[in-house]
Amino acid sequence: MRSGSADDGHTAVSGPVEVSRDLLERTRPASRLFWWAAGGSAALLALGVIGFVIRLGDGIEKTDPWGYYAALVAFLLTTAQAAPMVAIAPRLAKAHWRRPISRAAEIFGVVGVLNLILFIPLVWVLPDLGDGRRSLWFFGEVRSMPAHMPHIVTTISMTALAVVGCALLWVSSLPDLASIRDNSGGRRRRIFAKLANGWHGTSRQWFTQYHRLGILGAFYFMMLVFTHFAFSVEFGMSLVPGWIDALFPATHAANSLQAGVATVLVVMFLLRRFCGFGDYIELDQFWGLGKLLFALSLLWFWFWFSSFIILWYGKKPNEEAVLDLMMVGPYMPAFVTAFVLNFVAPLFMMVWNPVRKSIWGPTLVATGVLIGTLFDRIRIYVSAYTVAGAEDKHEMHLPLPPANLPDLADVLLWVGALGGVALVYLMSTRVIPVINIWEQKEALLYKIHKPFHRTEVLVLGKKD
Amino acid sequence: MQEHIQLTQKEINRDLLSGVLKSPKWWLPAVLVLLVVFLIGAAAFGYLLNKGLGVTGLNRPVMWGVYLVSFVFWIGISHAGIMISAILRLTQAEWRRPVTRAAEVLTVFSLIAALLSAPLVHEGRPWRAGFPIPWIMPWDFARGIWPNIRSPFVWDPSAILTYLTASSLFIYVALIPDLAILRDRLSGWKSGFYSVLSLGWRGSPRQWKLQAVAGILLSALVLPVFVSVHSIVSWDFAVNIGAEGWHSTIFAPYFIIGAIHSGVAAVATVMVAMVWLWGWDRYLRPDHFDAIGRLLIVVGTTWFFFFFLEFVFAMYTLEGPELAMRDLQVFQYPWSILFVVFLITAFFFPVPMWLLKNVRRSMFWMFVTTLSVNVGMWLERFIIIIPGLLRRQPLVFDWGTYHPSIIEILMVAATFAWVLLGLLIFARIFPLIPLFDIKEGMVGREEIKIGRRKVAASIRE
Repeated sequence: MRSGSADDGHTAVSGPVEVSRDLLERTRPASRLFWWAAGGSAALLALGVIGFVIRLGDGIEKTDPWGYYAALVAFLLTTAQAAPMVAIAPRLAKAHWRRPISRAAEIFGVVGVLNLILFIPLVWVLPDLGDGRRSLWFFGEVRSMPAHMPHIVTTISMTALAVVGCALLWVSSLPDLASIRDNSGGRRRRIFAKLANGWHGTSRQWFTQYHRLGILGAFYFMMLVFTHFAFSVEFGMSLVPGWIDALFPATHAANSLQAGVATVLVVMFLLRRFCGFGDYIELDQFWGLGKLLFALSLLWFWFWFSSFIILWYGKKPNEEAVLDLMMVGPYMPAFVTAFVLNFVAPLFMMVWNPVRKSIWGPTLVATGVLIGTLFDRIRIYVSAYTVAGAEDKHEMHLPLPPANLPDLADVLLWVGALGGVALVYLMSTRVIPVINIWEQKEALLYKIHKPFHRTEVLVLGKKD
Repeated sequence: MQEHIQLTQKEINRDLLSGVLKSPKWWLPAVLVLLVVFLIGAAAFGYLLNKGLGVTGLNRPVMWGVYLVSFVFWIGISHAGIMISAILRLTQAEWRRPVTRAAEVLTVFSLIAALLSAPLVHEGRPWRAGFPIPWIMPWDFARGIWPNIRSPFVWDPSAILTYLTASSLFIYVALIPDLAILRDRLSGWKSGFYSVLSLGWRGSPRQWKLQAVAGILLSALVLPVFVSVHSIVSWDFAVNIGAEGWHSTIFAPYFIIGAIHSGVAAVATVMVAMVWLWGWDRYLRPDHFDAIGRLLIVVGTTWFFFFFLEFVFAMYTLEGPELAMRDLQVFQYPWSILFVVFLITAFFFPVPMWLLKNVRRSMFWMFVTTLSVNVGMWLERFIIIIPGLLRRQPLVFDWGTYHPSIIEILMVAATFAWVLLGLLIFARIFPLIPLFDIKEGMVGREEIKIGRRKVAASIRE
């Protein structure tokens, strides 16, 4: 049974039994649209493999052919791998509006495995510390350090991020996997019994569940920030002679929060529009995330300007050269696109209430933010990989190399990776319900409608 | 467990107006002591004016001393008001209600203390700092003398005065309903005083609507100002390529998060003082300390991350003078001692303590830990500013030394006395806990029964 109104933004399906029935039903038959989407994604992934083979043909000795590949790994780290934060942060803040979208965000944790696989070739492309460039392992100047420390540490952190992302998804799904187990038979029941790991919903299990989710969420956030720190410096900044920017790792991580929100917004729109989840994903979710996206877009500008003003005002030659390379020189079009889509457009669109409080407004802005992030990562990593082989490792000399435009292999790689992400996501939803069943049911316990003077109000409870 | 006490409007009026309608016994002695400290600082300032900056411990190359430390410190504390009020109001955090006004008042008096700390005493010819202000206003334009907009002398006062105006307006708008209550309870000139200030408030639906809209608008508009103020203060340092350790892109976010860390900690300290001095323990419950403690864990950890980045990237430069400055900061006496004390008091003592629920819900421990944060944050500014100017580099002829003089110490002490004095006098004239906000919270408070448990809930429109 579904009720008509849901202006509080919570599920329009009225009772816990109906929520379970409705969402469990959706896990069984896959629609024709689903298989078309999965098939298309797989075809794109195949194109990506061809692109990778072509790229591999260029060898790994020179860095510049791998610029777009590095930008791709950075893009997925910034967008898909940040998406679980949309579930983690509002859950820690006990915001009820996150409930219908938390699982859609957490599923992106699985994409971490794909990005880890994509990251492996980059480890071979990155020169070791013997080439004399700067590194976070600056103690190498005064005592002997293994020349591959950046490779080892970044690999460990990418691996840990992927593992924690999957663990978070699994732990969060346990009650739902048990529901599927209890509503299935045969082989499907046996598979889900294993996945549910003996979940029976005892008080102790629930107690542990909340603690696990809190700890894993906090750990995922810390790993995300650390991975951005390690990756952005060792696979980006350290390759550019003279680039010293203490804020860059934090900027990289802050941008990822913006892009993560944008990713989830776009997915929410697709789930609502094409998968029939309109009863769960409503205006309240778009409004909540829209406000967050607006705030994070302002943060994008503040972080960018805080770096820019110092580098520009200081007028030190090495800093001016970095600005020339990434903002006003060969990559100016990419920078302007990123600036407009990540800051100007969100500011001037989301400042209006009717746009912010709509479904199309935040989705449109989020799509722009994703495109802007793509250009931002291109202007950083592609430019960095074109100057990585410079003789002087501590100051860039003019003239700067021209902009490195993508070739066929780059296009195929990007298309293939995005197809791979879509495929991994779609196949994950075959196992794990894309709407969190137990959180939806819990939401029904924490809200009541009651009369208040001449109107009716919503009363929302908050757990201790 | 969340525990709330449901109070009637009469009880709320009686409790929260008690500080305004009559003086507590301790109030006058406390005010007199603080006034004496402030006046001694003012006398020291007079002496400085008469004799010149030579009476301070400042000398080339260390031309910025504890005045600047105090300036940055008070700007940091001033971030509390907006953090607590604007952000928590926009996010509809219920626990903000008894805390907002004290935080906002702290903002205003801290900003004035910041202005007293450096711009008025430190920038040369302070007697010209009244109206018109030659550093900011183009008053001498007939002679072609314009302020240099590339100078922090222009940036800082512009940002701080904007913030001060916005914060004062913020407090005033939220005060209006409470002023009307005082107007209606008093007679004679006192009633007239509050009557003028309450702008004809009668509590009509239209007035409430306008008040709510003004609160939300001011919250949203004051946030960019709040961010810009400390960013600009940080750029006073970071745009300078001469002093080691200052030219870092991270300074703006690092200063902002540091300011929030020290500001929110200061609000928690004031909250404890409000319970101890006025006995408002029915309004400031362990829940409130628990919530601010949780907030402080997040803020403190983020601040430490930025501190870590700042330090790591100073090493990453591999530049001799930068490494020499860090060596001075961390390994050479007395800076090494200050550095260790700073790290312990600002992070390693309070943040792990806040992880314990019993500490977060204990007023004593919250008082100790939040005070500790501000000792640490004062030292943080000290070890950013002074070692950076000492120039302990290979060319020894340029080395500097610095010891704060008694004049500087007295004037810095006067800024602390000023802020405390301001809070006490404000609390004697206006309610320090917003009555209307508390009443609104009581009206909107509910409980939901889930199984055998009752869960605290609130009404959402």
